[in-house]
Amino acid sequence: MLETLQIIFSLLLETYIIGTILFFVCVNLTYTILLVLSLREILRYMRHNSFSDYRTLVQTELAPPISVLAPAYNEEPTVVESVRSLLKLNYGEYEVIVINDGSRDNTLGRLVTEFQLYLSKQVYIPSIPAKPVRGIYRSRLPAYRNLIVIDKVNGGKADALNAGINAARHEFICAIDADSILEEDALQKVVKPFLEDSRVVASGGIIRIANGCEIVNGRVVSVGLSRKMLPLFQVVEYFRAFLSGRMAWQSVNGLLIISGAFGMFRRQAVVDAGGYRTDTVGEDMELIVRIHRAKRELHEPYRVVFVPDPVCWTEAPESLKILGRQRNRWHRGLLDVFKFHGTMLLNEKYGVVGLAAMPYFFFIELLGPVFEFVGYLATAIMFAMGRLQVDVAVLFFIVSLFYGVMFSVGGVLLEEISFRRYPNPKHLALLLAMGVIENFGYRQLTAWWRIRAFVDYFRGRGDWGRMQRTGFGTAKTA
Amino acid sequence: MHVELLIILTLTAAATFVVVVASVGLVIHKAVNARVLRHRQRLYAHYSEILTRILLAELPELPPGTRSASQFKQYEQLLTPLKEQLAQLPRSRRAFHRRALRQAMVDFARDLTGETATRLVYFFYALDFVDEQIALVRDRRWWIRAQAARDLGLLRTRRALAALTAALEDPHPDVREQAMKSIIMMAGVDSLRTIFRLMHSLSTWTAVELSVVVMQYKDQAVPCLAEGLSAPDESVVLFCIEMLAEIGFVSGVEPLRALAENYPNVSVRAKAIEALGRLGDERAEGLLLHAAAGTNVRLRLKAMEALGRMGVPRSVPVLKRRLLNGAIPEKLVAARALAANGPDGLRVLSEVAAAHPEPVRAVCEQAIEEAEG
Repeated sequence: MLETLQIIFSLLLETYIIGTILFFVCVNLTYTILLVLSLREILRYMRHNSFSDYRTLVQTELAPPISVLAPAYNEEPTVVESVRSLLKLNYGEYEVIVINDGSRDNTLGRLVTEFQLYLSKQVYIPSIPAKPVRGIYRSRLPAYRNLIVIDKVNGGKADALNAGINAARHEFICAIDADSILEEDALQKVVKPFLEDSRVVASGGIIRIANGCEIVNGRVVSVGLSRKMLPLFQVVEYFRAFLSGRMAWQSVNGLLIISGAFGMFRRQAVVDAGGYRTDTVGEDMELIVRIHRAKRELHEPYRVVFVPDPVCWTEAPESLKILGRQRNRWHRGLLDVFKFHGTMLLNEKYGVVGLAAMPYFFFIELLGPVFEFVGYLATAIMFAMGRLQVDVAVLFFIVSLFYGVMFSVGGVLLEEISFRRYPNPKHLALLLAMGVIENFGYRQLTAWWRIRAFVDYFRGRGDWGRMQRTGFGTAKTA
Repeated sequence: MHVELLIILTLTAAATFVVVVASVGLVIHKAVNARVLRHRQRLYAHYSEILTRILLAELPELPPGTRSASQFKQYEQLLTPLKEQLAQLPRSRRAFHRRALRQAMVDFARDLTGETATRLVYFFYALDFVDEQIALVRDRRWWIRAQAARDLGLLRTRRALAALTAALEDPHPDVREQAMKSIIMMAGVDSLRTIFRLMHSLSTWTAVELSVVVMQYKDQAVPCLAEGLSAPDESVVLFCIEMLAEIGFVSGVEPLRALAENYPNVSVRAKAIEALGRLGDERAEGLLLHAAAGTNVRLRLKAMEALGRMGVPRSVPVLKRRLLNGAIPEKLVAARALAANGPDGLRVLSEVAAAHPEPVRAVCEQAIEEAEG
């Protein structure tokens, strides 16, 4: 009996080890392919971009007007500055729609006073369901004629965006976070794919970390790096996610996420899809997946693209607690996507989305931390039982760290090859070092936060988790 | 198991080695690149200085009627020291210098006109840059083709016209765009005819870029644009309609009316109606009133917008009907068009608002607010 049990245990162990190795090979092969695809795509983009004169978009009547949607909840200290910055974007015709999502502070009052708003009689057509709108405000000042403020009952970010979409007058809508900073030419760059290809339904820009940059009057005037480790790790992470991940997925029309902080959409595509879902914390990704699903089911030609140089600067969390909450929320959002659209997984009907992008997000992004965690646990158990081949385990650990370093450094290299926003060679050296260091502790920590997200998700936690921002000031650069 | 792991380890070590070497290399490259850039800038400044000198050098006045060969002889004399200087360089350095010189010439070309521009073009020919660039328009890499097409245009080298015309049918849109812009720069507004004939599936972006060029010619471009209305490609027709409206030349009214009435594609008809509204010519009133009362929603909306722009008193009954019977977006367009009709329209809006419940009342109030604001 004991012998049989031992045989079964050995078999299980063998299977587990083989499975782990196979998973490891698949993951790293996928990352390598993504890195290569990104490199090719970035080079193509850089070359293509060198022939684009964005000034023409400001000179011509042919440039399509845009509605910029900025949901705001309890943003009293920063809302005026953020809106001013949005009103100064370098683009022909655009309107800024600020949606006050039932703020409990004086967000609306500050806007009313600062921009001399009055209660307008503008008709509100609820094409997408959203919480009731209490009023639509417009400015008496001619300089702010393109500003619209919607005051509505609190319903969350997704609901606020839906109300904004309902009020938007233009064919293109750009959803942004009110506390982010768009570069002056960001709209010109993010709208270009729509003008080049009528199949494009959504386009996302890159999000960069503003911690350590010098910000004056809502503009990043000098790019720098934070002195703290945590934002630096996130800079490397963002490079990996945006330049290495999204760039590659967009090249095969398998991009599943456009950041809620900065994304542009064809309004009709969003309305047809039913707008943002309000019962998820990952509404940005869910919307894109839903658009993919609808378009592929209807066999309509479409494209979802990522543009790597229209920049939206955002403040990254500087404390472990807040970063943990953010990552927890992102992972719960991912779980929601698979809850709502699980049928797309490995379903050939959805082409590259069903057969490549969804499996990638499911096995690598969603379950990756679980496999990693189980790996650590299994190692500990085997060690305790004296079944661990220490030399093999050490080798495996080294190998996985090497790969981690390779992909982190790869992201930094892509940035260096392409946009070089960090001009100082010291910055490059620091980021490369962070690409190595993040694999010792930070990566494991993020895996742990994502594991915790599973627990929270199945316990029914559906909130956003409180985010605390220090606000943009004139930061010191490293 | 050990063997598999060792294989993975070897592969990983190799990959990591590559990445580490690449990283170190990149940091070094960044520093070296800064030096190369400085060197290139120095060379650029050096050649810019030489070019400025020889472009602005006073030449003896030639008697009237002198053949251009004599003038070229003068230019050649100016250029000889530069040619000799380049010839003395070793081959690898010469290529580097020639690149800097070519870049300086291309940048100069953006701002030069008149005799100085002719001189620069001559230099470009004499230094064999033209043939080099023409060959590059047929390069297998699209970005090299596009760049060559752009540079040839900036230098207005007419020998390149045939190559550029062929590039209008290049498979890559960037090459087509650069060729198109270069041809217009070189051959002027008349080249639009060729462009409209050969170009197809213009993206909005291409149209945006082309519109900026066309707007430099304005009225002179109208005959070509009017001809473009019968182009085989719909995107070209849409572009021509847009530009005719933008330029605002009334000779566009009749061809636009014909399109608005007869063109098989609704998008084109809608665009023509919109353009007629922007032109504001009273000859279009009948057609617009007819379209505003028609059955096609898209044409109706465009016609009402056009009537609103023009402020046609006769349109009030039609607009009022649409205000009362249309869907909300249509009501809004009709209300705005009524508001644009001045006191009469505003009076109708007030009456309708008083006599009807939501949503008609709300739409009327919004239109009145917008008109008064």
